[in-house]
Amino acid sequence: MIVRRFSVAVLAATLAVGACKGDPPPPPPPAPPMANQDSLQAYRDSVAQAEADARAAAARVAAERAEEAARTRAMAAARATLEAKVLFDYDVATIRSDQEALLRQKADILRASPTVQLRIAGHADERGSTEYNLALGNRRAAVIRDFLIGFGLAESRFSIVSFGEQQPAMTGSGEAAWAQNRRGEFQITAGANAINAGN
Amino acid sequence: MTKVWKGGLVCAVYAFGLPAVGLVTVATPAQAQDRDSIPGVSLGLVYENQLQPTLAMQPFTGRFGGAGLAAEVEAIMGRDLRNSDRFEVMDSLPAGLVGDVLDYRLWDRLGAVMLVTGQVEGTGDGFILILELHDVVYGQVTERGRFRLPDAADPDYRMAVHRASDDIVRWATGAPGMAATRIAFTMTDADYNSEVYVIDSDGENLTRLTNFRSITNSPAWSPDGSKLAYSSFKTGLPRIYQLDLATGAEWTLPDVRGEGDYMAPSYSPDGQTLAFSILGNARSGVFTYNIARECCLTSLSGGQHYDLSPTYSPDGLKMAFNTNRFGDNVPQIMVMPAGGGDAETLSPYEYGGRGYYTSPDWSPVGDLVAFHGAVRRGTHHILVADMANDGRRLLQLTWEGNNEDPSWAPDGRHIVFVGERRWGFGLFVVDVASGRLRPIVSGRKVGLPDWSPPIGASN
Repeated sequence: MIVRRFSVAVLAATLAVGACKGDPPPPPPPAPPMANQDSLQAYRDSVAQAEADARAAAARVAAERAEEAARTRAMAAARATLEAKVLFDYDVATIRSDQEALLRQKADILRASPTVQLRIAGHADERGSTEYNLALGNRRAAVIRDFLIGFGLAESRFSIVSFGEQQPAMTGSGEAAWAQNRRGEFQITAGANAINAGN
Repeated sequence: MTKVWKGGLVCAVYAFGLPAVGLVTVATPAQAQDRDSIPGVSLGLVYENQLQPTLAMQPFTGRFGGAGLAAEVEAIMGRDLRNSDRFEVMDSLPAGLVGDVLDYRLWDRLGAVMLVTGQVEGTGDGFILILELHDVVYGQVTERGRFRLPDAADPDYRMAVHRASDDIVRWATGAPGMAATRIAFTMTDADYNSEVYVIDSDGENLTRLTNFRSITNSPAWSPDGSKLAYSSFKTGLPRIYQLDLATGAEWTLPDVRGEGDYMAPSYSPDGQTLAFSILGNARSGVFTYNIARECCLTSLSGGQHYDLSPTYSPDGLKMAFNTNRFGDNVPQIMVMPAGGGDAETLSPYEYGGRGYYTSPDWSPVGDLVAFHGAVRRGTHHILVADMANDGRRLLQLTWEGNNEDPSWAPDGRHIVFVGERRWGFGLFVVDVASGRLRPIVSGRKVGLPDWSPPIGASN
């Protein structure tokens, strides 16, 4: 009895592994040495149980993978949201109303991801003086920081820097380029692996 | 019996008196202003016709091995004297036409009132340049000097010739020249790296000083010309450095105030103090640091608003700077005591009005502050405020393209600035007295020029 159970367990394990890996079906089981109804039924039950266990395990793994993928996708989306640039109007350092939603999303993510820290870099378009544009870029970065702090986030999670007009996102002159160049950019300086999407 | 050419000089000197030339009184409110014009500046300004003494150069000669250099030295000096904008320099005449013997009557008939003669003598260890300034009308030598020149291959060779040119200017006008100077500026490459370069005042010897492959800004000369301060992102965050030009050693301004953008350094006239801005801190604004003793950070101005681009008056008592305290879109120039205190607006700001004025530079000899500004978006011009009239009289020096970042030459008369034209960017020099303009670097993305003090032999 002990021997038979052992062989059945081995068989079940073989089936489970087979099911799990999707290998070709196992060879037909050898006929049990003593073929009475009880033992045959027990044998069938154990095979069915093993197959069910294998299916459940596979489903669990698939679910875990899907969950992991969803989590990765959400994290990537959250990261992209955190890093998305915020645009400004000409010669001012005030948050544009059409940029507020993005900043709120950033604030949600930051609240759900307490170890994440950001460097906010302010930029200006090429018009105006080089040194003053450094100041304007710094003002823009500071205004973004202050907006985020307004959602209850700690100031220590932000640092700011300005590149003025000196690192345009888009080359060329004209409003199309300038509009993309008047911006705040975001670099994750800590906690990049612990981004939670928030709500 | 007055000397005729001295009379010419008197006229010229009168014309050089800056406040008498080209400065325009502030327009009264009743006067209709073009809505794009800068308040205080009249459009259609015409410079007073200046009588410049005509200066000729007898073809230079040489001996003891100096003959080979004579023509080149004469050419360098001729260009320097033209660039001084203090003479009408006659085109040089071939030696065969002029002859070896000095003939005052010939030069008088050609219209010259001053004549420069030069002789280059080899010494076995470099050369001696013997220069004479002549009064053509009276047929006599008025000044004479001997100048040591190194070999033409020596890096100081051209600067030594420029120093001789500046002595001619001083002999003839009593005023300092600016030939023996350099201009530091930034040049940006296709990857948006900007490095510090220097170029001689005549547009020769373009030399790159930094190779950080980063953004480096705002080069500023120390008053003795031996060092350059600048701000650079080379570590990732903008900090201020000082380069010793003789040794190449670089000193870093310590993080005296932690995080923030450290930018726009400027030396006090005694060279002891560096003024600069720190932005993005709890208290942004203008700070000073005693670089001689490496101590004593002082906060001069700022707070919630940003003050930047400080520049000292030549007596070291005042400081002009740029501020956003009237609004981010209307930066203005203000003046405060050099130790901090109440500031007064220098640029022509009217409350609630438009106008964008930045990048002040205080003249090293005169009571003039240059800056650039615009009322109309995108078109900036170089302006000069007359401090003797509380800055209420303004001279507009440029009328085309976009013009930024003026810096005074040590003669207090020329300004270098960045000009943007249809063909691209360039560094231009403008003579404040005559309005004459010349490009010295063309077609490159240049920025933030700073004109050196006179470069002495030791530099």
